[in-house]
Amino acid sequence: MTGIIQIVLSPLIAFVVGVLFLGLARKIIARVHRRYGPPIYQPVIDVVRMMSQRSISHGALFELGVVLALAGSLVTVMLIPLGGTEAFQPFAHSVLCPLSSSGGLLVVMYLMLFGPLGLALGAGASANPNASIGVSRKMLLALAYEVPFLLVILAVMSQYGSISLTEIVARQQQASWGVLSVPLSAVAAFLILPAMLGIRPFDLVTAPQEIASGPLAEYGGTCLALITVQKAIHLFVVIALFVDLFLGGGVNLATFLVKMLAVFLAVEMINAVLPRVKIEDAIKFCWKWPTALAFVQMTITVLSK
Amino acid sequence: MSPQAILITAFAGAGLVFLAGKVHSHLRDFLAVLSSLALVGLIAWSHGQYGPDNEIVYVPDFLGMELALRLNPLAWFFAIYIAIINAASVVFSLSYMKGKEKLGFYYSMMLLVNAGMLGIVLSGDFLSFYIFWEIMSWSTYLLISYRRGPALHAGMKYIIMSLVGSCAMLVGILSLYAQFGTLQIAELGEAIAGSSSGYVLFILMAMGIAFGVKFAILPLHTWMPDAHSEAVSPFSAVLSGVLVRMGMYGFLLVMYSIVGLKTILNLGAGFFNFHYILSWLGAITIVIPTFIALLQNDAKKLLAWHGIGQGGYMILGMAFGTSLGVAGGIFHTINHGSYIALLFLVVGAVEYRTGGVRDLNRLGGLIQRMPVAFFGCLVGIMGLIGMPLTNGFVSKWFIYKTLITEGHPFLAFMAFVGTWGTILSVYKLLHNMFLGQLPEKYKEVRKAPISMQIPILFFCFVIFLFGVLPGIPLRAIQGIQDTMGFAPLQLTMWGLASGAGALNMLNICFAIVIAFAVVLLLMRLGAKPRRVPQEDSYAAGSSVPAGKYHHSVEFYNPLYQMISPYLKDRVDQFYYWAADKAQGVFELTRRIYTGYAGTYVLYIISFLALLIFLQLAWEIW
Amino acid sequence: MDRNQIAKWLKSPAKMANKYSLHAVYFCTGCGIIEIPPVITTRWDAERFGIIPVATPRQGNLFMITGYVSLKTLKAIIRTYEQMPDPKYTVGFGSCPINGGMYWDSYNTIKHLDRYIPVDGWIAGCMPRPEAVFIAITHLWTLIDKGKADGYLRYQENYAAYRRNQEMLFAELEWPPLYPCDSIAEEARK
Repeated sequence: MTGIIQIVLSPLIAFVVGVLFLGLARKIIARVHRRYGPPIYQPVIDVVRMMSQRSISHGALFELGVVLALAGSLVTVMLIPLGGTEAFQPFAHSVLCPLSSSGGLLVVMYLMLFGPLGLALGAGASANPNASIGVSRKMLLALAYEVPFLLVILAVMSQYGSISLTEIVARQQQASWGVLSVPLSAVAAFLILPAMLGIRPFDLVTAPQEIASGPLAEYGGTCLALITVQKAIHLFVVIALFVDLFLGGGVNLATFLVKMLAVFLAVEMINAVLPRVKIEDAIKFCWKWPTALAFVQMTITVLSK
Repeated sequence: MSPQAILITAFAGAGLVFLAGKVHSHLRDFLAVLSSLALVGLIAWSHGQYGPDNEIVYVPDFLGMELALRLNPLAWFFAIYIAIINAASVVFSLSYMKGKEKLGFYYSMMLLVNAGMLGIVLSGDFLSFYIFWEIMSWSTYLLISYRRGPALHAGMKYIIMSLVGSCAMLVGILSLYAQFGTLQIAELGEAIAGSSSGYVLFILMAMGIAFGVKFAILPLHTWMPDAHSEAVSPFSAVLSGVLVRMGMYGFLLVMYSIVGLKTILNLGAGFFNFHYILSWLGAITIVIPTFIALLQNDAKKLLAWHGIGQGGYMILGMAFGTSLGVAGGIFHTINHGSYIALLFLVVGAVEYRTGGVRDLNRLGGLIQRMPVAFFGCLVGIMGLIGMPLTNGFVSKWFIYKTLITEGHPFLAFMAFVGTWGTILSVYKLLHNMFLGQLPEKYKEVRKAPISMQIPILFFCFVIFLFGVLPGIPLRAIQGIQDTMGFAPLQLTMWGLASGAGALNMLNICFAIVIAFAVVLLLMRLGAKPRRVPQEDSYAAGSSVPAGKYHHSVEFYNPLYQMISPYLKDRVDQFYYWAADKAQGVFELTRRIYTGYAGTYVLYIISFLALLIFLQLAWEIW
Repeated sequence: MDRNQIAKWLKSPAKMANKYSLHAVYFCTGCGIIEIPPVITTRWDAERFGIIPVATPRQGNLFMITGYVSLKTLKAIIRTYEQMPDPKYTVGFGSCPINGGMYWDSYNTIKHLDRYIPVDGWIAGCMPRPEAVFIAITHLWTLIDKGKADGYLRYQENYAAYRRNQEMLFAELEWPPLYPCDSIAEEARK
């Protein structure tokens, strides 16, 4: 029974918090720009408006790609522990992670592929070169940030000797947080966080001014609404993963969300002030500093084991 | 069913098809399909019939040795895998090869390759193993150069490298015979246990070169891209799917059936451990070919480089000698067979319908005309990447988990990076062939014929079946591992049951299906989009220029410029350099033979003079 | 959000959402576009009303033509308008789209934009200041509320007439009628 509640609850939390974060992002950026900014529920209005618009379709794959992306993101949420602990503590509840015994972090990494791949398929089916250029950039950017990200994940996995996310979180709660035990990895992960989220300075995939919002060039109406939701849930997944890997998760949902908010604010500050980089520079950056830091940390971790 | 009957069927099929080709083309096609399907049936029927009853000595006294056949779990597993992929390719060939010349020869060679491979896995001693290995090599050579022209060069490259491997294997076999006086695989296993680690290493090296050439491990891989781009597509499926994986069978046989697990693990010391070096070779085999694949524009060359790269995962899984790793390695072998065969068949179907085009810069938008081929390609690339719900995911998960729990994160990192390189290049494959704008000249392309669709859909089914219920093949793999003395895994039908690091594919499958349904419902809530033709696309307000509105050439241009200087195939260049120099040396040698009788007389006289001088000086005789 | 709006939201969420989420396609034809950057950036901040620029017509629902319309541009305007999903609102910005403005006797510009695509509102002036954009937006809100911003419906109903007007300028448009469906397009062909 608790299993079913969890299966319903965790995507729902991701949906609500993710959409809220999207609105918050617009508000924060507006305030940094000394604007008033839209109301915080603006993304909800946008999504409702898009759902009501009758847009076009370029074939079944054009729509199924979006469905695949959103479904993949929803399933990913179920594999990520959203706070909770097995140990006895005040205000703690049991771990909120419905699919905790289905393969752990390795499955999370592969499920996170469904989002980009679904969008790439849909964008490819839209028969628009802007979309293809956008997808090409997305793939290259993914390769660029995955190199340091894999080093980071492997360092964490070897540090805690487990491939299970719930176990990694539990170890952190017993001993010290990841940010203290694998500090360089945490820095590297934070540096590539904007690239994983696709926000400035790495928003070159959906660059509206250059390639007409890239993969989304042909999307409108319901499909675009679902893509917005997917973006929100992806945002949630990536930041939740960061909190689980480095900030010790949370003893309950509330502390977990507070930690997520802190990470999110830090990332949005970067988003608010930096301009966009070229894809070549993005690859060079990702393969230089974050990779070097993550590599050093992994070597230290492996040698100290 | 005895192994003898299987082999007789296989060879008889090859012969009969050749004769039938002289009589009537329909009879030939029918016989080819019948004999390849009959083999699948025969092998499936012989499941579980292992033991002494099925050990047959078919030549009792060949220069004092027995030539024997036998059936055991390892042999059965590989046999069924060979037979199925070969049958699918033969069915696919029916339309693909229609109207080509020398079809009787082609089909009989396909079946002969099949028979050779079945002979390899069924042979009970190393002499038969070697004979069947050569049958396979030579018939492969004939098939690669089937198309003539540049294919002859590719075939030559293959057979030369293959011969070097065969010589190395022959040295190993002769040495084994000289040492132990027997070539029976079962007896060798016991005999070799007492020998020194240096000798074991020598045997492993000699055999390793032979298997490595077939397996296309990195320094020995150069024949493969050429062979693939020249061979016909159904044969490419067999070549990359099973034939290359005979190397894997050889490695398993020598490393775990003969030398044995304990000896392997204690071979060498520290970083120079045998399995450690082998796994690093595997890791390099993953990364470099995968990124070379990124630069390819020929669909089949791209897949060929992936065929090399995926071999690295099998080596990585197999090299560590843990139950999980070896299970992952063997499982990845058959998974790789299923999806790489599928992808080659898809490329073949596209090639067939577009008039031989497989240049990725000249295709596009074919999803509208060939939906089944597109579906096959999508499933194939999902398997190749290792997306959850496909079989490639499960085997890769096994391998990754082995690497991480055994404490080799750097190897795991290389394996992961290889996966991401794979994603990039296979998306390019899918996009440039099937997505984007459909060019004017392909407006009339028809969908693939039914005899091409059946193998494609069959492989799609297998990929999903083994991805959601990996227990089916893993049970059989467990049987193999029992005979090799590995600790049993805690298998379930849907994955692995062992505490926190468990894998449950059924859960993930249900979660994805439910999420898919929920999202589809959500989509129903919104306004239903209307279908528009591909010309109604955003082009900043202008109308779409027909046939020119497609981005496919130099798809990953920013990355090409960064990595292409580092990714020349230097090994291939080195071999060509070596061949060139060797030719120079032979040329020098040839100059000795001038053609004048006087020179030869001079040679003889000076040789005699040398002998006389030696005798006078040191009184040797 | 004040209280009486909640009732409206519950009654017709689609309409209200369309009202408060105007994603604008700015068609930058002439000098008028110079007024748009102040509108969308810090000084006047259109985003507080939910108005943001989008890059492709597929994503927008507000179409703003900011300046004179030459014949060549009109083709692009028509196609862009037809590619926007329903419901959509068109606003002509400046004198030129209204009556030709200072180009009233030019051989190469059109004088009345609403003969070729339906226009829901005009912002008069040469140049209108950014404040005028906001006045226009609030006015558009009222029109949407009352159901009078129905340009897209008029285009569907009178597509044959619009298409005829368009083809009077361009003997042959470069594309077959994309919009709204085949039967109406066929009718327009006759």
